[in-house]
Amino acid sequence: MATTTARPAALDPHQHLAREAWLTVDDRRELMRYMLLMRATEERALTLYRQGKVPGSYYDGRGQEAVSVGSAFALSPRDRACILHRDLGAHLLRGVRPGRVLAQMMGRAGGLTGGRDGNMHFGDKDLGCVGMVSMLPDMAPVACGLALAFQMRGEPRVAMTWFGDGSTANGQWHEAMNVAGVRKLPVVFVLENNQYAYSTPNSREFVVDPIERAGAYGFHGVKVDGNDVEAVFQASAEACERARQGGGPTLIEAETMRMHGHGAHDDMSYVPPEMLEEWSRRDPIENYEALLGDAGEVDLDSLREEVTAELDSETDWALAQKMPDPSTATGGVFATADPVMGDGKAPWSRWAKEVSNA
Amino acid sequence: MPQMGVSVAEGTITAWRKRPGDWVERDEVIVEISTDKVETEVPSPAAGRVAELLVEEGATVDVGTLLATIDTGSKPGQPHADESDPPPPSRVRTETNGNGTATKPAAPNGKAPPVSPVVRRIAEEHEVDLSAVSGTGRRGRVTKKDLLAFVEQAGDGRAKAERPLHTESPYKEEAVPRAPAPALDSGEGEGEGEQLSVMRRQIGEHMVRSLQTAAHCTTIVEADMTAIEAARGRLSYLPLVARATIAALREHPRLNATLEGDRLLVHDEVHLGIAVSLGEEGLIVPVVHNAHELSHEGLGARIKDLAMRARAKQLSPDEVRGATFTITNPGRYGALLATPIINQPQVAILDLEAVVKRPVVVSDGQGGDSIAIRPMTYFCMSWDHRALDGVGAAEFLGTVKRHVEGWSD
Amino acid sequence: MPEITYLEAISDGLREEMRHDSSVFCMGEDIGEFGGAFKVTDGFFEEFGANRVWDTPLAENAIVGAAVGAAVEGLRPVCEMQFADFIACGFDQLVNVAAKMYYRQGLAVPMVVRLPSGGGFSGGPFHSQNPEAWFLQSPGLKVVAPSTAQDAKGLLASAIRDPNPVLYLEHKNLYRRVKGDVAEGRYQTPMGELRLAREGTDLTVVSYGAMVHTALEATEDIDGASVEVLDLRTLCPLDRDGILESVRKTSKVVVLHEATRSCGVGAEVASLIAEEAFEDLDGPVVRVTAPDVPIPFSPPLERAVLPQVDDVKEACRELLAY
Repeated sequence: MATTTARPAALDPHQHLAREAWLTVDDRRELMRYMLLMRATEERALTLYRQGKVPGSYYDGRGQEAVSVGSAFALSPRDRACILHRDLGAHLLRGVRPGRVLAQMMGRAGGLTGGRDGNMHFGDKDLGCVGMVSMLPDMAPVACGLALAFQMRGEPRVAMTWFGDGSTANGQWHEAMNVAGVRKLPVVFVLENNQYAYSTPNSREFVVDPIERAGAYGFHGVKVDGNDVEAVFQASAEACERARQGGGPTLIEAETMRMHGHGAHDDMSYVPPEMLEEWSRRDPIENYEALLGDAGEVDLDSLREEVTAELDSETDWALAQKMPDPSTATGGVFATADPVMGDGKAPWSRWAKEVSNA
Repeated sequence: MPQMGVSVAEGTITAWRKRPGDWVERDEVIVEISTDKVETEVPSPAAGRVAELLVEEGATVDVGTLLATIDTGSKPGQPHADESDPPPPSRVRTETNGNGTATKPAAPNGKAPPVSPVVRRIAEEHEVDLSAVSGTGRRGRVTKKDLLAFVEQAGDGRAKAERPLHTESPYKEEAVPRAPAPALDSGEGEGEGEQLSVMRRQIGEHMVRSLQTAAHCTTIVEADMTAIEAARGRLSYLPLVARATIAALREHPRLNATLEGDRLLVHDEVHLGIAVSLGEEGLIVPVVHNAHELSHEGLGARIKDLAMRARAKQLSPDEVRGATFTITNPGRYGALLATPIINQPQVAILDLEAVVKRPVVVSDGQGGDSIAIRPMTYFCMSWDHRALDGVGAAEFLGTVKRHVEGWSD
Repeated sequence: MPEITYLEAISDGLREEMRHDSSVFCMGEDIGEFGGAFKVTDGFFEEFGANRVWDTPLAENAIVGAAVGAAVEGLRPVCEMQFADFIACGFDQLVNVAAKMYYRQGLAVPMVVRLPSGGGFSGGPFHSQNPEAWFLQSPGLKVVAPSTAQDAKGLLASAIRDPNPVLYLEHKNLYRRVKGDVAEGRYQTPMGELRLAREGTDLTVVSYGAMVHTALEATEDIDGASVEVLDLRTLCPLDRDGILESVRKTSKVVVLHEATRSCGVGAEVASLIAEEAFEDLDGPVVRVTAPDVPIPFSPPLERAVLPQVDDVKEACRELLAY
């Protein structure tokens, strides 16, 4: 089972010329919009947190927007996703409204778990998402299970999940990787290497570059610039295609940087300032804006306005949601009917074409 | 004490329907209670013989308080004390912990053997003196088996007495009819008078408190009911006036408000209280929740339903809570004017008095005046001067009048 | 009705459900061509194929976690832990992912984890445990423990059809020791309902799993006393009403289980009785259990730890005499 670990091809500045075939102008606009939406939602949530409206802790994925947006953009409606805490872009792409995310953070009844779980521990099952737990990377075996179902039924569907660099030290990560390789499951593992697991830098987490492990478990691995949304998309689209055609799993290591602390309570003083300075020049949104601006294809100003207006109305909605009724706290422990998962949105123009060609 | 509504915390025993010793069927009414002016009959949770009533009539206790015990193990045909007899007080009660005259040999360590919970309960139910029962359990303990065998053989303690001692006499205390509650001191030679019912007392307390809390003023506006008369068909005036009032409340939201202490809470929704007379017993104010969503026909239907259920004592406490504005309508009795008392903690109450045909001056569009016979009425609104001023009250009433006189379907 | 063993009944139940619904499939170590460590899936590989009888790698968290993923996507996985003891290696996925998924996300997880449990054959500390109490502390999991061949088949079917994660405790010591008349075809035994193993009036023994048989043997004749034996069958949700009804009748209770003492099912049942049936008690609620000790390997040591027939007899005698 030969595998190749692609060198960071995405760093090739001419790479995007080859992507013409994959992405239309509208797709590019959407990629930009979702990154903007993710950042705007997280900034708004942080404000609410600082205003004392968010119980517990607050986690965001600032600086990593290209990873979740780029990878989730490759998913089709019937694919499934186990989304992690720095991947809000994936939720938004699947169709979750920012207002529901904010209500979730504030523990409101109108939030995605009705106040039963907090921060990013949610997954809208009606949009084909399975919510994460705190133990990481517990969703990796679950994604394998989803992929297993697709494989058993012979469906060309993909399960995608995300995890961080720290997770690769955990036994469950290895179990999931091994099982995926042994069964050649249609699963895409997106490893967001954001350099730190809380305060632990990669150098203390492992001594082998995680992307090497893909080969060790018998399948394809590719490393990309995690701040280049189109590079992430390209790798993800290829991985999904491979999975759909029975080619088995892919590990995508997206190199990026966590620009905020582990949580809002963390001042990340352990990160050398020069490192943050360097990465801030590689901001995924700014860089994509520059690219799109040069090409002159997308009206960025109107896009920004659109996003701001959306966040305003979504925030109003979220703030109007009530807190959950305490008498409901002990109910709903056991299900009385089988699960029903819905399909997510999939803004990539490919799917619209496929539907209309069907 | 059952919880009859979400925010009910206590209830009052109005009347016991069963006495100790009576048989009660499951779901048969066992007691009448009053919670927050709503009277309810409480069905028994189980069939059995009423053992003990723990709360007396007239007492108010918290929700959840045990009111009575029922022996569900008994059978209907068993002999029991006469209804009017209180349990004979001369019966010797269960001995425990070595007090009293135990006739059994003491345990080696000097302590009498314990009485288990089930033995104690069965002994109480059958009024058995445990000292008369020999025990086969550890340390001479009376076991459940021992007690049950004793009861079966010796019979129920209440039916068959032990051989009386010299000091015990067959005398039974006579049943004394329940004395009525002491009469209010209404002066010498005036007779005993009647005690106010629970409902009357509660209404009275509310009214006194309202007068003591709010700065009551009453403003009166006259209105021509011709348009209403034409539109109402078989409905009474009330639903149409209610609809007009709700429209006016939307325009003058500060009257759709509640005042508690210094806090004025203006409400978005209109929950309309409608006073319903219960005849001599008193009155009650059921609430049409979200009245602003109803047409006048809808209001009419809801008011009729609430009034009917109020008189049949079928209202739940949640149906008499949460009003933001109240309308009272004693008009059919012919009175013209009134100064109603505000229903706390609202800021105003509107009284709809009689509609009477009167000669009035009407103006045509061109400045000419003439006399016409019109059905007229007075809208009498009492309002709280802490929350608003005369101008606000008058403006509101003016708007009500405008809606009423300009009524169109 | 054919008489088959407890083990055969489990196989039979699993087979019937797999034939009936193609979304039911098995995953576990050595369950494929090898037929499973205890031969429960003997012949399954031939009948259902590699897709539905998956020989997994040695990775309990991956097994349980993958089962969650497959279950939410509409399949009905039946995981086998080779020994109940190894659920500890998959505990995180079970307790943190499977158990809480519905409460948090409204997403049901219809999966079964089969746990060959119990001792009595010199299995030692890691092959003899009865870990059911761990799961009673994890809201969102259901737990069943059949003691008869009939219930073994029926409860497995119920567990497979239930939309929640269900832990199925099959006692290894009953596999071939217990036989019963088991109906052919599909049937379900309702969860949450205990079984009256023997009716009586003087004392109740509450038990489950292998100990039901110990209880029946021990109380067959204790000086003529009439002893009622309850087989709980489901540990979560517990048949509270069934237990309390028996207590009201006999007023004396012995709770018996092979699992260790502290905070076990016995503790839960005893508390329940004390809270809800205090006035029906004619004596303290007594527990007969293994002491708080890892299960030892050497036969005389193991026998000293696992509750024996004589232990049960003695406890019952004492309580009867109280």
